[in-house]
Amino acid sequence: MSALVEIKNLTKSYRKGGWFAKAQDKTILRKVTISLREHEILGLVGESGCGKTTLAKVILGLEPYQSGSVQVLKQELNKLNKAQFQYLRRDMQVVFQDPYSSLDPRMTVKQILSEPWDIHGLHKDKTIREEKLKELMQAVGLDPAHLHRYPHEFSGGQRQRIAIARALALAPKILVADEPVSALDVSVQAQILNLLKEISRQRGLSVLFISHDFGVARFLCDRIAVMYQGKIVECGPAEKLLKNPQHPYTEALLSAVPLPDPNLQKNREPVPTKYDLSLAESLCPYAARCHYYNVQVCEQPSALTETKEKGHQCACTRLPFQNDKSRYAV
Amino acid sequence: MNNRIFKRIVKNKASLTGFVLVACFALVALLAPVLAPADNPRDPYQIPQHSYEMTPQPPSAQHWFGTTEQQYDLYYGVIWGTRLAFKVGITVTFFAFLIGLFLGSAAAYFGGKTDELIMRFTDVIFAIPSLVLAMVIAAMLGPDLNNMMIALTAVAWPSYARLVRGDVLSVKNRDFVIASKALGARGPRLLLKHILPNSIYPSVVVASLDIGYIVLTAASLSFLGLGAQAGTADWGQLIAMARNWVLGDGTNTFAYWYTVVVPGGAIFLFVLGWNLLGDGFRDILDPRQG
Repeated sequence: MSALVEIKNLTKSYRKGGWFAKAQDKTILRKVTISLREHEILGLVGESGCGKTTLAKVILGLEPYQSGSVQVLKQELNKLNKAQFQYLRRDMQVVFQDPYSSLDPRMTVKQILSEPWDIHGLHKDKTIREEKLKELMQAVGLDPAHLHRYPHEFSGGQRQRIAIARALALAPKILVADEPVSALDVSVQAQILNLLKEISRQRGLSVLFISHDFGVARFLCDRIAVMYQGKIVECGPAEKLLKNPQHPYTEALLSAVPLPDPNLQKNREPVPTKYDLSLAESLCPYAARCHYYNVQVCEQPSALTETKEKGHQCACTRLPFQNDKSRYAV
Repeated sequence: MNNRIFKRIVKNKASLTGFVLVACFALVALLAPVLAPADNPRDPYQIPQHSYEMTPQPPSAQHWFGTTEQQYDLYYGVIWGTRLAFKVGITVTFFAFLIGLFLGSAAAYFGGKTDELIMRFTDVIFAIPSLVLAMVIAAMLGPDLNNMMIALTAVAWPSYARLVRGDVLSVKNRDFVIASKALGARGPRLLLKHILPNSIYPSVVVASLDIGYIVLTAASLSFLGLGAQAGTADWGQLIAMARNWVLGDGTNTFAYWYTVVVPGGAIFLFVLGWNLLGDGFRDILDPRQG
C-alpha cells in the first residue's frame, strides 16, 4: 500500500501583527507526521482549535507551510509551479463542514457542479456535460430534475450532498472531508456518512476525515489519528485505538463520549480534569492536563513511537501506557 | 427573475409608491420635449424668459405653474429639471459606485498595505464634510454643471468603497470561495463570479437611495451658485431664484408660494420616490427572500 499523502515534520505558523503592532508568530502545527494510504479512510480527531482544519488547508494548498514536507501523489507541494499545482488539484478535493456557507447562494446547483469543469476546461460538450451532471446528482442521491434550483431551496443534508457532488466532479483520488457532518442533524448525519462510505468504496477514494466525534470516526474510518495542540499524539487502526488507547489524551477524549447505557454511564469513573499552568511549557504538550504527569518520565522530548501493536503509534514517553478500561468502555 | 422583482415591488405599498413616483418622473424626463417644447432645441435646458420683470407671476393659463423671478417659466423649468435631475443623479451615482467598487474590492481582496493605503485615503475624504468638500471642488473647477457632477462624484465614492470593502472582506473567507479556490479558481474568477455577486447588493441598495440624495446635494450646490447657471432648468437653481420671494410681499407671506413649492415639491417627491424604491430593493435583493 503506497501513501497518497505523505506529511513529514510539517510545521506551520501564522503571522499576526502589521504596521504598528509587533509581528508575532502563532504556531499551529508542530512537526506533524502522518500519511494517507491508498483506499483508506483516515480519521483525524481532536478538540477545536488543535489544527485539524489547518492541516487540511495545507494539504489542499490553501495555506503555505514553513518547514517539513507535504507530498501529495509523490509531489512536494512547495516545489510545484502554478500549472502543476492546478493539475494536482484535480486529484484532491474538499467537503466543508457547513453546507450553508460552502455553496454560493447565487448559483444554481448546475452552475455549482459545472464550475470544476469550467475551471479545468473539461467536458465542454453540452450533451456530455448534461450526462455527467445527471450522473453526479444520482451518485449522491439527488434528483437530477433539481439542477436548476438554488442552494437555499435544499435542506442541510441535501446541500451537503451537493457539496460532495462538487468534490466528486473532477474524479479526485483524495477527498478531504472537514467535519462534513457536524453541522447536520443526527438523523441526517447517518445518511451522509453512509453516502461517504459508499462513494469512497465505489470510487476507490482515499479520505482524510476530520472530526471531533469518535462515534462518527469509528463508523467510517480505517485508521484514526488523534491531534492535540498541533501534534499527532496517537495514530493507529481504528478498532485498536478505540479499544486500547495508548495516549492519556485519547483516553480522556474517549471517556468523555457518553455511553448509551445509563447504568454503564453512571458507574463510569471520569478522568480527573485538571489544568496545571506551571506545566504549560513542558516538553510534552499535554503535560498541563495530564493526570499521569510524572517529572522523571515526562520532561523529555516525545515523538510518535511504535507501540507493541503493529501500526499503532503513540507520542507518550510513558509507554507502555497502562490505561484504565473502566473509564472509557466502548 | 425580473418579473419576480417587479411583482415584489408592486406587492409592497411603500415600494409601489416609490416605484410609481420614480416612474412618473422618468416618464416626464423622457417626454420633456413633448410636454414642454424647447424654444431653442440646441440648448433645451435654458428656460425661456418672457420678460425681465422681477416680480414672479402666479399660475395662469399661459404659465401653468406660474413664473419665478425674471419671468422664467416654472412649468418648463420643472419638466426639463426632471431630465437634468436624472442625468445628474444617475451619472454621479454610477461613477461614484464604479470608483468605490474598484477601490473597495481591490483593498479587500489584496489586503495588507494596499488595503491600508486605499482605506486611509478614503478616510481622509470621508473626514471632510461632503457638502463642504463638494463646494470647494466645485468652486475650484468653476461654476458649471459638469464640474458640479465631478465634485459630487469626488465626495460620493468613499461610502461605496467602504461598503464594498466590508462586504468583500466578509465574503472572501466564506467556505464557498475557499471551495472554489480548492477547485483551482484564480483571482478574476473568484472575484467576479463568487465574491462580487455576493457583496455588491448592499451597495446597489445604497446607490438607489443615493440617487435622490445626490440630486438633493446638487440642488444645494446650484442654490449656492456653484452648479447650474441662472436660467438653467435645474431645481436647485429655481429655488435659488425664489430666495427673495420666500417671505411673500410683506402683507401676505404666501403671496409667492409657487416659486418655492413647485421646484421644492419636485425635489421632495423625487427624493422620496428613490428612498421608497431603495427600501424596496433592499428587501428584494436579499437572496434569502428570493
